[in-house]
Amino acid sequence: METLGILGATFAAAIAVLGAAFGISKIGKATMEASARQPEVADKLRTTMIIAAALIEGVALFAVAVCFMAL
Amino acid sequence: MRFVINILVLLSLLAVEPVWAQTEEAVAQAEAVEETIEASEQGEELDVKQVVLSHIADSYEWHICSVGERHISVPLPVIVRSQSGEWHCFSSSKLHHGHQYEGFHIAEEGAYAGKIVEQTADGEQIRPLDFSITKTVAGLFVNCAVLLLIVLCVARRYRNDQHDSKAKGGLAGVLEMVIESVMDGIIIPCVGPNYRKFAPYLLTAFFFIFVNNLMGLIPIFPAGANVTGNIAVTLVLAMATFFAVNIFGTKDYWKEIFWPEVPTWLKVPIPIMPAIEFIGLFTKPFSLMIRLFANILAGHAIILILTCIVFATAKMGAAVNGAMSAVSVVLSIFMNCLELLVAFLQAFVFTMLSAVFIGAAQHTEEHEHETKQIENNTNN
Amino acid sequence: MGLLQPELGLLFWTSLAFGVVLFLLCKFGFPVILRSVEERRKFIDSSIDAAHEAEVRLERVTLDSEAIVEKAEAERQMILRSAGEERDRIVTEARAKAEEEARRIVAEAREQATEEREQILRDGRQQVAALAVALSEKLLREELRDRQSQTKLADRLLDEINSQTTNTEA
Repeated sequence: METLGILGATFAAAIAVLGAAFGISKIGKATMEASARQPEVADKLRTTMIIAAALIEGVALFAVAVCFMAL
Repeated sequence: MRFVINILVLLSLLAVEPVWAQTEEAVAQAEAVEETIEASEQGEELDVKQVVLSHIADSYEWHICSVGERHISVPLPVIVRSQSGEWHCFSSSKLHHGHQYEGFHIAEEGAYAGKIVEQTADGEQIRPLDFSITKTVAGLFVNCAVLLLIVLCVARRYRNDQHDSKAKGGLAGVLEMVIESVMDGIIIPCVGPNYRKFAPYLLTAFFFIFVNNLMGLIPIFPAGANVTGNIAVTLVLAMATFFAVNIFGTKDYWKEIFWPEVPTWLKVPIPIMPAIEFIGLFTKPFSLMIRLFANILAGHAIILILTCIVFATAKMGAAVNGAMSAVSVVLSIFMNCLELLVAFLQAFVFTMLSAVFIGAAQHTEEHEHETKQIENNTNN
Repeated sequence: MGLLQPELGLLFWTSLAFGVVLFLLCKFGFPVILRSVEERRKFIDSSIDAAHEAEVRLERVTLDSEAIVEKAEAERQMILRSAGEERDRIVTEARAKAEEEARRIVAEAREQATEEREQILRDGRQQVAALAVALSEKLLREELRDRQSQTKLADRLLDEINSQTTNTEA
């Protein structure tokens, strides 16, 4: 039973990480496209990208922390 | 330099390891080995999880390395308050191998595994008030000393030749470059018009995290403690940001939380949006805390696991072990490079998000006006 | 999980350490560095401004000097031109004066010559008249030796006078 719990927690962590990876990849893609289109605002875009990525990452880490606690 | 040291350490591991493997093979081939040695070898099965956790978790002594059976470690002071209310202060070397000292010992298992517990008369284990200088605290002190030394030396240099307006070289130049990039890249754009008030705090947070991260990557004694990968440290940092945001928050900021500009049915009778905003008040610093903690922890864990590959494959024969060692070294180097980047990036992100939160709390109608004016001026 | 539980002691020490670091750096560290960086930035900005200003001023000075040179050139031209004019004027004036003088001298000489000629003529006429008178005296004396011829002359003279008066009366 305990093993099942561990399995569940690790799966949950994996799913959370998948979500974060998806979100961050979308941000990265959008930023790259935007800065390719308008290189003069690339710095500003990078800053915004880091903030957005950090927010997503925060949520993902939140989920991973919950999984960690369930472990 | 640090990077070079890292590489040297890893290379020395690589150099030492085949000898170990050969001897083991020799032992296996000779078959004239004493039972005790064999038994001990089997008993010494490498527990990667244990190694990694023992580094990542806090400890009462600073373990440097083990040579054979001898553990070389720096004992650190233990400061605990017993149940009866008196303070005890003694060296952690008194607690080696589960020894009991003045009624305290380090719990082997249970809820307080690895922590100092007090044995009460009825055999219960109680956690005393523990203000010990643990490995993390000692590492923190070392890192703070390094940070203070660097910044105050540079500041003194600036104060001493105030009238020399030439650009400084050396350490001062590097520090100045980093400060300028943090100021221009994060603080001024994110905080807004009254960035001057918060610049020292944000810079301190940045350099505190950055120095602690970098020192955590150095594997040699006075550095190498997992400081920013400890949740208590990141909790304090996140609390500092929390206070900086909320103590200096403007009226408009509080209004945005308790009476945001959303359709009224979202506010009355069930205050959905205010509740969300209010929770957001705490989740923001919480995410700051978790992010820094998890990133640094994960970095340390990955590097350790990669290094452990060398020892975990030690029993698989020379060829496999050699190949895996090479893989381990290459991956470790790569991860160390990545961790250098992460060390900077996490300090950067923490500072940027703090600056953004602080800037959002400084938001007022007037400021918006001012910012627009500033933007207009810069555009002109 | 132990990793996610902050230790109280560690919290205390971290707060202490971070507080001390924050205090020291906010008091003695970053403001000093930031101020001098800011000062230097201002200094550089002002230097650049000053350089710009100097450049503008230099340009203006160059323009001014060019203008001055141009003006001087124009003045020189003007002076040269006016000098030429003056010279021409003087020359023409002198020529005119000289011509006039010459004309005057010539006229004077001519007048004098005329006068002298008239003088000479007058002298000659007087001498001729005196000679004629002397001759006619001698002739008359010769002719009027007898009475008859004297009377004849008197008559003729009277006739002549008569005719003369009638002529005038007519």
